[in-house]
Amino acid sequence: MNAALVQTRAALGEAGRAARAGWRPVYTVAALVVVLALLLPWYAPGWVEIDTLAGWVYLALAAEGLWLAAGLAGMPSLGQGAFMSIGAFTTALLTAHAGWPAEATVPIGVLTALATGLVIGAAVIRLPRLYIAVSTWILTWLVVLLASEFPGISGGAQGYVVPSSLDPTAHYVLAVTLTILLVVAGIALQRSSVGVRLRALRDFPAAAVRLGAPREKLLLGAFTASAAVGGLAGSLSVQLAGVSDPNEFGPFTAFKLLVAVLIGGAAFAGAGPVGVLAVGGIALVVRGWAAAGGGSSAQLEPLLAAILLLLVLGLGSDGLLPALARFRDRHRARKPAFPATGAPFIRRRRPAELSAHGLRKRFGGLEALAGLDLRVERGECIAIVGANGSGKTTALRALSGVMELDGGEILLNGRPPPAPAPLAWVDAGIVCTLQGTAVFRSLTALENVMVGAGLHRRFGGPFRTLAATPKSRTESRQVRTRSLEALRFVGLGGAAKTPVELLDSHEQRLLMLASALAAEPRVLLLDEPSAGATAGDAMRLGDVVRAIKHLGVSLVVVEHNVRLVSSIADRVVVMAEGRAVADGPPEELALAH
Amino acid sequence: MSLWVQIVLTGLAAGSVYGLIGIGHTLVHRLTGIVQFALGDLVGLGVFLTLLVTAGRGPVTQATAASGRFVLGLVVALVVTTGIGAASYLVVVHPYLVRGSTMGWVAGTVAVAFAIQAFLGALFGRPAYVFPDPIPFHDVGSGGIVTVGGASFQVRSLFVIALGLVLAWAVTKTISSTRFGGGLRAVSEDVTGAHVVGVPVDRYVALAFGLVGAVAVVIAVAAAPSGPFTTQTGTLLGLKGLVVALLVRFSTPWAAFAAGLGLGVVEAAISSGTVFGHGLGGPAYREVLPFAAVLVLLAVRERARRPDVETELG
Repeated sequence: MNAALVQTRAALGEAGRAARAGWRPVYTVAALVVVLALLLPWYAPGWVEIDTLAGWVYLALAAEGLWLAAGLAGMPSLGQGAFMSIGAFTTALLTAHAGWPAEATVPIGVLTALATGLVIGAAVIRLPRLYIAVSTWILTWLVVLLASEFPGISGGAQGYVVPSSLDPTAHYVLAVTLTILLVVAGIALQRSSVGVRLRALRDFPAAAVRLGAPREKLLLGAFTASAAVGGLAGSLSVQLAGVSDPNEFGPFTAFKLLVAVLIGGAAFAGAGPVGVLAVGGIALVVRGWAAAGGGSSAQLEPLLAAILLLLVLGLGSDGLLPALARFRDRHRARKPAFPATGAPFIRRRRPAELSAHGLRKRFGGLEALAGLDLRVERGECIAIVGANGSGKTTALRALSGVMELDGGEILLNGRPPPAPAPLAWVDAGIVCTLQGTAVFRSLTALENVMVGAGLHRRFGGPFRTLAATPKSRTESRQVRTRSLEALRFVGLGGAAKTPVELLDSHEQRLLMLASALAAEPRVLLLDEPSAGATAGDAMRLGDVVRAIKHLGVSLVVVEHNVRLVSSIADRVVVMAEGRAVADGPPEELALAH
Repeated sequence: MSLWVQIVLTGLAAGSVYGLIGIGHTLVHRLTGIVQFALGDLVGLGVFLTLLVTAGRGPVTQATAASGRFVLGLVVALVVTTGIGAASYLVVVHPYLVRGSTMGWVAGTVAVAFAIQAFLGALFGRPAYVFPDPIPFHDVGSGGIVTVGGASFQVRSLFVIALGLVLAWAVTKTISSTRFGGGLRAVSEDVTGAHVVGVPVDRYVALAFGLVGAVAVVIAVAAAPSGPFTTQTGTLLGLKGLVVALLVRFSTPWAAFAAGLGLGVVEAAISSGTVFGHGLGGPAYREVLPFAAVLVLLAVRERARRPDVETELG
């Protein structure tokens, strides 16, 4: 007991020191803004309606919730209107029918929205993005239809009276506090292992899955959390309004919130409130303008505002926050110089052998794999060569477990790799890269590598990350260190904080290798690592691949560049029509050519 | 027995309209890889523009159908919806599509939907409007209604079903056999590749969006005369077409039309209140149950399938 107290005190002290060390002037500004926002009801001029304002802040809360799904995870959800309605109706029903105090209904509202989010999430996470938009749009309308066909749910045209013990000012303070907490949590999450992997999945799902990002778990988590926040905002909004309205949060709210996230800048935490501020602010201007003209309506103003902003955004901006970040970074040096040579990287896992027996795969009438046998020994590097369409890339996809086979067997050290593929396969050490420069565009170089390095974390879940438990923080430091080691190993140590889009294609190829290396592979599968590279770059790439081989990692490389192949491979396998037709040392291949 | 015949006939009549819109959704999606969220609203726009040109903002009677202004109204509606369809691509879809922002074009087409709704809501204040039937089906049987085996149906619903079959055929042909469709298929599979082989990508896709705007007017003429039409009818029809298209995963026009007919029959069955007993039947459940069922079905089906992240880039 005593020991636990001492430990906690030490951890808190350390956290305090870390916070002081990491403090930057921008935080002081942010803190001032927060205080000013919280105290607004006490100094605002008389014409400011605090209850209207509080309503908008609850919308901002819902928008930041939506950011978790739409911004962080890249799922364009039109369902936030539905989740707000669900929270609102739950609160209204429980207070009106069961006599609950309004505040006590909040957790139930959140849980109901969360449960709905789980069901819809299960339906949409495996689908392409536009299906997510379609399904959530149907959900939002389903809730509207439910409310209009069954007045018992929503209270009908009269609405249910929802007495709240909080006055509008208290609601305003609560709304601002919750929104700020969520934004801070969003910023922390965005930088964490979980956030980096979610953003990787958003940028390039196929590459992220190959580095072991648990796609379904992460997307479902983001979607469900987003739904829960929607429920929270809805439940509190109806208490602020004091009476339920079946049409308060429908499709239009869903649209407005999505536009808000888009305007704010989907890639940035805090996009929701910033976007809502923009839509609300312009709606106010439109109202003033319409009042001068004589006509006005509650829905028309935000609609005009949203359309206006969409048109402006269509001209080529990413949103307000990204524009701000670019303004802030305008003086920064574009690209630091990188050390030319690699630094050591200590292998953590024993090499493994991988073998394939009689792999078969048909695509319609095309037999891509026709009984392929393949074997790579511990620490060996084999190259697969062959004409276009001979099944090389299909073979790599089969070996990495991302594709279902029609027949055959893959063995890691003589045993089938653990299920489920491909996730557990990556964990077991089968790591694969994609053709060309498959990097995550909106991440920095270090974050790219962290996608792979986060694979073996044990204390890196969202809750531990947000609570910043000592174990989680220690592990985060280790992941950063390991990622930096991998970056230095390929010679990109100086580029850690550089956004990937500023790296040239050769550097992006090296970065891809570093990300794969950080996932601690036992067998590394490389798909045309030199595709599109100049002759010189290809040979420099060869140096790095050889260095990886010397670490003791087994390698399977699909490659066209014969010089590169003969400089890295111990053995060359020639594929034709879906099977291996020749196999031997590279010198023999060179003779055959 | 006659109750079931009645349910099926009523259902097919309503479902044929959902099917038509479902065909429209598969057409846009197959040609461009995009979902036009404003399709139903374009149908509504077609209906009300015709009325606006024919008789201003006032009520219209069946007698107006013969007038020249009505024909003019149809032409104006056709031109405007085609234009708005194409413009919605150029203004709110294309800028986001080139940046790979799905969220952007989703919000863009939804914005078009709300803009049309706001426009119609501001101009047409009556609860419901009558759209005159350009083809005199009301001269057949008693006021256009024929009774078979104790069940009655509108003669014009046969026309709508036939139109659905023709449209499904035409759309299939457009996608598979014309240069336009071939070019667009190339676009939806690989935009860069299509550019390289000389397909005028933007013009084709804008044309496809315009084409769908025109199809919306055809659907409007088919659907609107069957009953009273409100400014929200188009939105709801568009939504049902979307449900149908989602159910068949935007696969083929035929599948979408069949699913539309199916949805109509299921709605009619639920609506009659006899199928699921009185606990879960009646008009109130008409839309709610199928919508929920499609979402749950989607969840179940997707859980059973292995996800395909390979084709989903960026």
